[in-house]
Amino acid sequence: MKRLVSLLFIGALALLLLYVVSKMPPMGEPTNPTMTHVVPRYLEKSEGEAHARNVVTGVIINYRGFDTLGEVTVIYCALAAVLAVLGREKRGRIRDYVELSGIPSSVIVRTMVALVVPFIVLFSLYVILHGEMSPGGGFQGGAVIGASMIIFTTVFGLHLSSVKVPLKVRAALEGSAVITFFLVGIAGILGGGNFLAYAWPRVSQSLQPALVTWLTVLVEVGIGLGGAMVFVSILFAMVREEGADEPLA
Amino acid sequence: MSGAYRHFPILMVTIPFFGAALLPFLAYLRRKAVPWASAFFLAISGGLGTFLVGKIPPGGHLSYPLGGWEPPYGIELRVDFSGYFLMMAVAGISLAAVIYSRRYIEKEVEGGRITAYYVLFLLMSASMMGFVITGDVFNLFVMMEILSISSYALVAVTGNRNAVRAAFKYLLMGAPSSIMVLLGVGLLYSVTGTLNMADLAARVGDTGYREVLIASYAILVLAFMVKAAVFPLHLWLPDAHSIAPSPISAMLSGLVVAVSAFAVARITFSVFTVHAWGLVGTTLEALAVAGAAAVLFGGIMAIYQKDFKMMIAYSTISHMGYVVLGITALNPEGITGAVYHILDHGIAKACLFMCAGNFIYRKGFRKIEQLKGAWREMPWTCFAFSLAAWSIIGLPPSAGFISKWYLVYGSVRAGKVPYAVVLLVGSILAAVYCFRVVYYMFFQPAKEGDWGERLSEAPASMSVPTWALSLATLFFGVFSYLFLDSLLKAAAQLL
Repeated sequence: MKRLVSLLFIGALALLLLYVVSKMPPMGEPTNPTMTHVVPRYLEKSEGEAHARNVVTGVIINYRGFDTLGEVTVIYCALAAVLAVLGREKRGRIRDYVELSGIPSSVIVRTMVALVVPFIVLFSLYVILHGEMSPGGGFQGGAVIGASMIIFTTVFGLHLSSVKVPLKVRAALEGSAVITFFLVGIAGILGGGNFLAYAWPRVSQSLQPALVTWLTVLVEVGIGLGGAMVFVSILFAMVREEGADEPLA
Repeated sequence: MSGAYRHFPILMVTIPFFGAALLPFLAYLRRKAVPWASAFFLAISGGLGTFLVGKIPPGGHLSYPLGGWEPPYGIELRVDFSGYFLMMAVAGISLAAVIYSRRYIEKEVEGGRITAYYVLFLLMSASMMGFVITGDVFNLFVMMEILSISSYALVAVTGNRNAVRAAFKYLLMGAPSSIMVLLGVGLLYSVTGTLNMADLAARVGDTGYREVLIASYAILVLAFMVKAAVFPLHLWLPDAHSIAPSPISAMLSGLVVAVSAFAVARITFSVFTVHAWGLVGTTLEALAVAGAAAVLFGGIMAIYQKDFKMMIAYSTISHMGYVVLGITALNPEGITGAVYHILDHGIAKACLFMCAGNFIYRKGFRKIEQLKGAWREMPWTCFAFSLAAWSIIGLPPSAGFISKWYLVYGSVRAGKVPYAVVLLVGSILAAVYCFRVVYYMFFQPAKEGDWGERLSEAPASMSVPTWALSLATLFFGVFSYLFLDSLLKAAAQLL
């Protein structure tokens, strides 16, 4: 009965929403409000006024930079939420959590991972640094580093990976996305503009394109490093938690 | 417009973000410094806010285009007087709660999580400040995300089973509502092509897509009703607010639900505006009915509670109904009442939860019955409780009286006398549940072994914020004339 009622309710809601969708502007029409109001300026002028070689990056980092600042804060917040619920590993006690991966890995797997991980990290740096002018950027690159750490931890265990990325490093870099973004924002004020202005009015016109490019790269690197460390810390907190229920050998 | 102060609103929002990002490393170096640093960042934020006194033109606003991109191409902060007023309320109450937290959290939260607690605390207060002053609906969503995620986690921070369960319940209701906000914003964007509130207001009137607009408004209001715990979507609130550590209960009950209710006002007045109300009238009426039901339901449930914090939590449901009724009165008096009520309810509710926290800290008492005769040992806490309860009931000269006066006046002026009656009945209910506790505290003999004769107040770092807030309820009652004029003008400008 309860299920039937909820099913009917969901069905009715879905029909209502479908009706609304049918009344929406047709997908992809060039006359849609979404295509004619704000977007043309981004497409036509972002290269000239925002010095963006990649329009998407221009919108994300520059025009709507504050939203992105908020989004990196959301990611950082997610880490803090995980640590608030699971707790962080205690300093110096990581040795107790040795080899929690449980999957005995063969020499082949170990060798392969040891060989591949440096290249994955190299690739992620490429993704981060190229975000300024091609698809990619800090979020994606940071996720790739995080993934490489997950592979590494699964194969070599938590102890070794926590030696590679010690708590000190993580604690310093977890917030780097928020910190860089904030400092770039403040620099905008000091440069004579508003918060998050990239083309500082106090700098001469001819230098501004280079300035915007470098600041964008800086922000991307901050996002990448911060994102990567957030992934690693979340991973460590979760692996530790999983191991905590098992008797430690 | 010139002068450095125009940068202050954005700095008030981002400095605590920055501080939160620094905390993990600070904790690595010196864990003891973390609570002080958190208070420091919030104090800077609030201090910058005080420089803005008198800088917001009455009836106007301070527009701050981020990155220098003029709206609607970039994001705009739009600080009108009600936004500024609430931002300062957030700053003040957060500062009190963070100072209160140091001793309390030491006791309730295990060491490894304390840093995470302060990180989340800073993110929560700063995102609320951003939430009330932003002029961009997508930015509103982003700030709400930070706010929601930090609130879920802070409920669970003690790590005991009930707290985690309550947080999970909160998450289960909160996450869909976040997605609904995104859906509503997406629908708005699909028919207007803009995210800036002022630009939206100019464009919703003459866009042809009526159905999409109605759906978008209904979805947004429903979503924020969940966040604001308006009856019947309050189910997550009593558990989450009563089980969370007391300073967090104070923040959640006093501010988090209230700014979500304010978001309803923002959507109604700054985005849809009076021109589009023809479309959304039904939703507004449904909202008003829900608000009226919330006032009565919350009040009656509060009377039946045995757990002290549970009672205060149900009282919050009742008071969110007040705020909603003020908004749906759709006149300057109602809106002023709602905004002022957010402030004074926030202060008084935070104070009540801190009093509850003092009892829990000293004695571990959570039941109302156990408070019989409490004044012998903790007179200051009991007096602070009584003052705050005075404001919750809405008796003069407290701030609660002022806001309830405007709320009732707004309802009557809108021709909605039944709602005015509901508001008054709600106050009577509040009197019943508050006076019961006060009666127990002062006029009932203590049960054997519960309370001794020796004075044992909570430590100063907890008593002082409690008292500061309880005196603030009086201050904002007696000196309400300082703010009401500007608030009325700001409200009139919204309409």
